[in-house]
Parts: sequence; structure tokens; C-alpha cells
Amino acid sequence: MNGFIQIVLGGVLQGSIYAMLALGFSLVFRVTGVINLAQGGFCTLGALIVYTLQSEMHLPVALAAAISVVITTLAAGVLGRVLFVPGLTRLTNSNMLMLTAGILTMLEGLVLVIWGSQPYALTPFSGERPWHMGPILVQPQGVWVMGVALIGILALAWMLMRTRLGQWLRACAENPMAARLIGANVPQLQLFAFALAGAIGAIAGIVVAPAIALEFDTGRLLTISGFIAVAIGGIASFPGAIVGGLLLGLVNQLGTAYVSSLFSNALSLGLLLLVLVVRPAGLFRSGVMKRIDVREEARVWQHVTRITSKGAWRWGGVAVLAGLTLPYLMDESLLGSAIITLILFLTLIGQDMLMGYAGQISLGQAGFMAVGGYTSSYLVTNQDWHAVPAIGVGIVFSLAASAILAGVTLRLRGLYMALATLAFGLLVDSCTVGFDDITGGPSGMVGIPDLDLFGYDIDTSAKMYFVVLTLVVLTLVAISGAMRSGFGRALQAIRTDPLAAAALGVNVTGCKMAAFAMSAAIASVAGSLYAFQFHFLAPEMVGAPRSLELVSMLVIGGEGTLIGPLFGAALLTILPTLFQPLAIYKTFASGALLAGFALYLPQGMFGLLLRLVRGKRA
Amino acid sequence: MNALQIRNLRKKFGGLLATQDVSFDVARGSLTALIGPNGAGKTTLFNLITNLFPADSGSVHFDDHQLTGLSPSQIAKLGVIRTFQSARVFPGMTVLENALAGRHRLLKHGLASQLFWLPASRREEKALAEQAMALLDLVDLADQAHRPATDLPMGEQKLLEVIRALMAQPRLLLLDEPAAGLNDTETAELSALLRAIQACGVTVLVVEHNMSLVMTIADQVIVLEAGRMIARGSPAEVQADRRVITAYLGEEAI
Repeated sequence: MNGFIQIVLGGVLQGSIYAMLALGFSLVFRVTGVINLAQGGFCTLGALIVYTLQSEMHLPVALAAAISVVITTLAAGVLGRVLFVPGLTRLTNSNMLMLTAGILTMLEGLVLVIWGSQPYALTPFSGERPWHMGPILVQPQGVWVMGVALIGILALAWMLMRTRLGQWLRACAENPMAARLIGANVPQLQLFAFALAGAIGAIAGIVVAPAIALEFDTGRLLTISGFIAVAIGGIASFPGAIVGGLLLGLVNQLGTAYVSSLFSNALSLGLLLLVLVVRPAGLFRSGVMKRIDVREEARVWQHVTRITSKGAWRWGGVAVLAGLTLPYLMDESLLGSAIITLILFLTLIGQDMLMGYAGQISLGQAGFMAVGGYTSSYLVTNQDWHAVPAIGVGIVFSLAASAILAGVTLRLRGLYMALATLAFGLLVDSCTVGFDDITGGPSGMVGIPDLDLFGYDIDTSAKMYFVVLTLVVLTLVAISGAMRSGFGRALQAIRTDPLAAAALGVNVTGCKMAAFAMSAAIASVAGSLYAFQFHFLAPEMVGAPRSLELVSMLVIGGEGTLIGPLFGAALLTILPTLFQPLAIYKTFASGALLAGFALYLPQGMFGLLLRLVRGKRA
Repeated sequence: MNALQIRNLRKKFGGLLATQDVSFDVARGSLTALIGPNGAGKTTLFNLITNLFPADSGSVHFDDHQLTGLSPSQIAKLGVIRTFQSARVFPGMTVLENALAGRHRLLKHGLASQLFWLPASRREEKALAEQAMALLDLVDLADQAHRPATDLPMGEQKLLEVIRALMAQPRLLLLDEPAAGLNDTETAELSALLRAIQACGVTVLVVEHNMSLVMTIADQVIVLEAGRMIARGSPAEVQADRRVITAYLGEEAI
């Protein structure tokens, strides 16, 4: 019994952190209508600033925390002013999601540049010796966490309910247009909400840092937990955020205690899916009704990037010729980068169909690479299968995973699918680490043999290059055939106006599922090739960071063009190889480029290139 | 012979009775206009027929099919095609692609043949593109076929939406205020287009505020006020109806 109380207490502790993060989500969502993925990034930043102030300048914790919150809030203010608020007036909600993913990646990259990739822990504020309350042991830091969360929640509630500023914020949440008409400075309020969410993140990060080890990418885990909490509670409801956070903390702790720490993530995800299926609006509904016969988004996809069919064949021919000659001009390491670029491009062709054409954001595409890669390499390495049927089994598993994920999420509105894919990616991550009998755990799977195509051994880089190139060209031709015909038009119609598409007889759910399944199958093949290329597969090669990198490549290259992502993949793969010393800036640069392109060059490098070429000719 | 039969449709939004026991028939091949003051429930009626949201009670029959309970895309597949009050061309697609998107329900060659570039599928695409260009030419949009659809002025976007609906080869066409936002030339084009559509045997139900347009093209006019049907008949009959005049001009005018 005491044990149980202990675990519940732990759950409440963990839950109070989630509740704070969830409040940050809820705040930004209510004022701007955007799910702010950068939320967790501010936790890591805040906590590590405290670490530096304590260890380098020997400041007392209270002072260090205060300075850190100020700095983090200022950073959030700047990012909000430069990227987030300008985006609100010109990007679609789904592109705003990418923009915040870019901000999250930038924050992670910044932390990586300053603090490196090792884990950090702050010293607990009141020592480490647990306090005894009767038979129950209480960690002093836990009291700090709960106390700060409680004070933070109450202060926020007071601010929203009792102050003039809070009134404006709530007005802005109810109806931004009306708020503007009665004199609210809406952009300023949106900026304030974003910066305040940054401050909440910093505070949550600082108090929780002594209890967990922080790494540069812990932010995304906190983001996803906070998001799961609000999705459970009801995204637009403040009490919902708190209840959702506590519930998630409890499930997590009980799961870890009674099932396994490996599956606590899986349980959180399960809880999320259950709530999404049974009560899609969350436990607490916000009660806002929307007219469904009017298009939801005022800001829509604007640009059209098209090449003529003659141009496509001509340039395609040139590109294939270049692709065939390149390996003879490259040294071994550059050829390796070229192979990786092509493998990632293969994944991106599918992802572009899903995101660029159908408008369905996937933040977990590397999860399918992992499913394919681990399945086929396990079968080949440990069960002596031939490579081709093993890759086939990988495809089947990926299709099954995509069908389950899509079946649950596709019927839901808007961004839930995006976040479910993010959760899926993290779930695959925890499985690849956890099932170490099969996957080799964190240290990875070794001894994967050469790719063997029906007895023909692909034993040199040049051979591998040509195999991958062939697959890329075949996939590109097939998918572009579909994209320039009825299926592609149906997807593009769904992208901006699913209701009008349905009114023309388009089976919206069916088309989305087909695109999702095809992208999963392609990613699965790419994952297998990836494993055979390296003869090795480790979780971080196909983990959640890879998924975000894929999104960056897609947006930087140009969505909805099929070809564009090649430029993004090449930029982010080959440049760091050529300029090794700069590799540490890669994460930061890819985040900054993602945010910058999403905001200023939505047609990507490809669109830009096309404009330059055409501009010259005209 | 009736194409569309509406019986006792009723829909409540909270405390507002948006549609109250509306019943009427639309004869096959006829053009019926739905008029009434703003908020009379005309668009709601369209949304109930195409089941964007379900009716509280009542039924809609099209030919031998009960539409109640079918999804919007199933209803579209029966040949019931609608346009929207605010033009909803698909952004991010060209004018031609928008028109082609209308044909989705009748495409013969599916995803697999498109993936493999089967000649039959390519031929179908080519034939459709020619057909779409011919239709676009009717409303003077052919020379803009490769521009992004959202670059068109609002009036032309509304015409494009009608063309997109026609590409779907509707058997019953529901047009929601097609003339709103059109200039005089465009209205004339629309009026000619509607006559041509009717001549092809398509049954048309149109919500419209432009009375001179309604009175010249409609076979039957149905007047709604506050969710109730207050009159129906030929344009001449409706124009002479006391209740209609009251609804539009108020008691004083009489």
C-alpha cells in the first residue's frame, strides 16, 4: 500500500510538470490557434542556463533561476517577434506547426553548440536526502516541483481571470477579429502569449532538471508529453490541461512501476489514442462551435510550382545522365554522402506526396524507416533470409503500422495526425532501444551483410549507388505519374479543402490513407537500404531527430514538387561532410533554415531555382 | 417525373429552427430557384441535401436513392454536385487542374494505372484536359488555364467553380449564389451557361439573390423565410404573392 502511495505521489509530481507544460501549450493555442512545438525547447534552454550560471559563476540557485527565466523569456520574445508572430498572418496552421518545429530544432541546435550532447543534471535545491512523512519517502525536489507548478498555475489563473491583460488575452482567444475591433493589439498579445509560454517552459525545465538528466534533445520529449497532456485534457481548456497533465503523470508512473519502464511511453501513447478515439475533443471541451460549410483557414497554400511535361523530360534526362556520371567523379566519402542523400530523398518522395500534396504532416517518417530497417536487417543477419523478401516483410510491417496509425487518426481534424505521427516516432524510438534482444539496443545492430539482390552481391559503394539511384528514379517516375493525374489532384484538393473535395465525390479518408500507406512503404524500403549501406543500424540513425530533419529537408527543398526535396537532402547531407568542422552547427542550421523557408520561401529551393531560371529567360 | 423529393426536412441549431418542415419536389430537367431574405435557411437546405450535416428529421430522395444518411462523397457519386456560396476553388492548383478535379468521381483508370503510366490512363487524362479546356473556353477562362486558380478575380473564381461542377457531369446541380460577385458581363455569361446546362437535361437547383436572373431562367421558384417555405410556383405567381412581398419589403409596403 505504501508502495502504491509512493508511486501515486511520483505520478502527481511528474504530472504537475506536464500540467505546467500543457498550460503553456493551451495558452498559445487559445490566443493564436497554433500548437507550439517549441514549448519543450525552452525547458532545456532555461535549465542549462542555470547550470552554467551555477557552475561557472557560482551564483545561488534562486538568482541563477531568475536570470535564466529572464534570458529564456527574452529569447522566446525575439523568436516570437521574428518568426512566430509574422508567421501567424501568412502561414497555414500546418505550416505554423512546421515553423514551431523549426524553432524547436533551432533551440536544440543552440544547446548542442553551447553545451554539447552530454547529459546534465542540476543539484537538487534542498539537498538529496529524502524526507520522511510517516512511512512515505518524499524527495525534496519533488516538493519543489509540485510547489512551483501549483504557484505557477495559480498565478496564471489569476492573471487570466483577474487582470486587464488577462481579459485582453481571453478576448483574443475567443475572437481575434472582434478583439482587434475593440482595440486590442492582437500581434502584441500573441507575442506576449508566446514569450509567456517560453517563461513557463523555462521555469518547468529548471525545477525538473535536478530530477531528470537533461540532454540537448530532452526538449522534444517534454514537448510531446506536454502535448499529450493537453490532447487528453482538451487543447483549449485550462482545467483540461491540468487534469490531462496529472493523469498522464499518473499513468506514466504506474506503468513504469507495474509494467516496465520501456512501456511507459507506450502507455502514454495508448492513453492519448484512447482519448482521441473516444473523445476527440479531449476530456474538457472548449464549447467553441465552428461552421463546417465555411473554409476554416483564411490563410491557405498560395504558391503553385509547375514544370511543363517537356521540361520535365528534358531536365529529367539531364539529371539522370549527371546521376550516372557522378560516381566516377567522386571519392569514396563523397560517394557515401551521395548514397545517403539519395536514400533520404527516396523517403522524401513519399513524404512529399503525403505532406506537400495531401497536406498531411508527418513528423514520424523515420519511424517507418526504423520499422523497415530493423525488420529486414534482423531477418537477414539473424535468420539468414535473402535481402529482397526481408525488405518485403519490412514493407508489410510498415504498412500495418501505418494502417493502424491512420485508422485511429485520419478521421480526426487537422493537426492531430501530425502529433500522432510524432508520438509514433518516439514510440518506435523507445522500442528500438528497449527490445535489445532483437535490435541490439542503444548500441545498435552490427554485422549487417552487404545487400544481396537475388545472388548478386552489392559489395562496392558504386554498385550500391546505382541500386539506390535506380530505385529513386523508378519511384519518382511512378509517383509523379500519379501526382499529375486524378490521384494527385484529389490529394491537392484535400490539402486545402477536404469538404469541397468530398462534395465532388473524392473519398477523402481513402485517399489520405493510400498516400499515408505508400509513404510508409517507401520509407520502409529506404530504411532497409540505409541499414545495408552502413552494415549497421542504431536507434539515433532512424529516430525522432531524423524525422524532424526529413521535414526540414522537405520544406527547404520545396514541398509539393517531388524533385525539390533532393535539394534539401543534398544540402543537409553533403555540406556537413564537406565542411566537417561546421557539423556541430548542423542541427541549428537545419532548424533555422526550416523556420526561415517556412516563413519566407514557402516554395523552397526548387521553386526559387525555377524562378531564377525562368526570370532569366523572360 | 421528379428528380428531387424533399419531405418534412427539419434542422435546429441550438434554439434556432433553421429549417422547419420544408417539403417540395423538383421536376427532372427543370431549373428551380430558391430565394428568400438572408438567414432564411437556403444554404442550410443545400447542406442538408448534400448531408454536410444531418437533418433532425425528414428525408431527401434523389431519383430512386434515399440521400439521408449517405456521406457527402457518396451523394456526389450519385451525381448530386454542389457549389459553395463563397467560391471554393482549390488553392495551390491551376485553373485547369481545378476544372479536372471535378471529374474525379468518373475517372475510369485508378491509382495503379496512374502509377505505371498505363497508356489508357494517359489517354483518359488527355481527353479530359481537352474537354476541360472547351468548357473553360465557354466562360473565357481557357487562356488562363495554367495560372494558379486563386490568382483569378472573385467573379471568375465563381465561374470556375461552376465549370468544375460541370466537369463532374452532374445529374442534379446545386448552385449556391453563383451570380454573387459577378459583374454584368459575367452574369450574362452565367445566364447563358445555365440555359445550356438545362438544355443538356441537367436538373438545377439554384440559390440566387439576383431577381432579374431568377425570374428569366427559373421554371419554379421556392421562397423561404425564417426556415419555412412560404411560397412556390412559377416566377410570375411568386412575384404576385402577398407573403413574398411582405417577407422582402415588410408589412408597410402593402
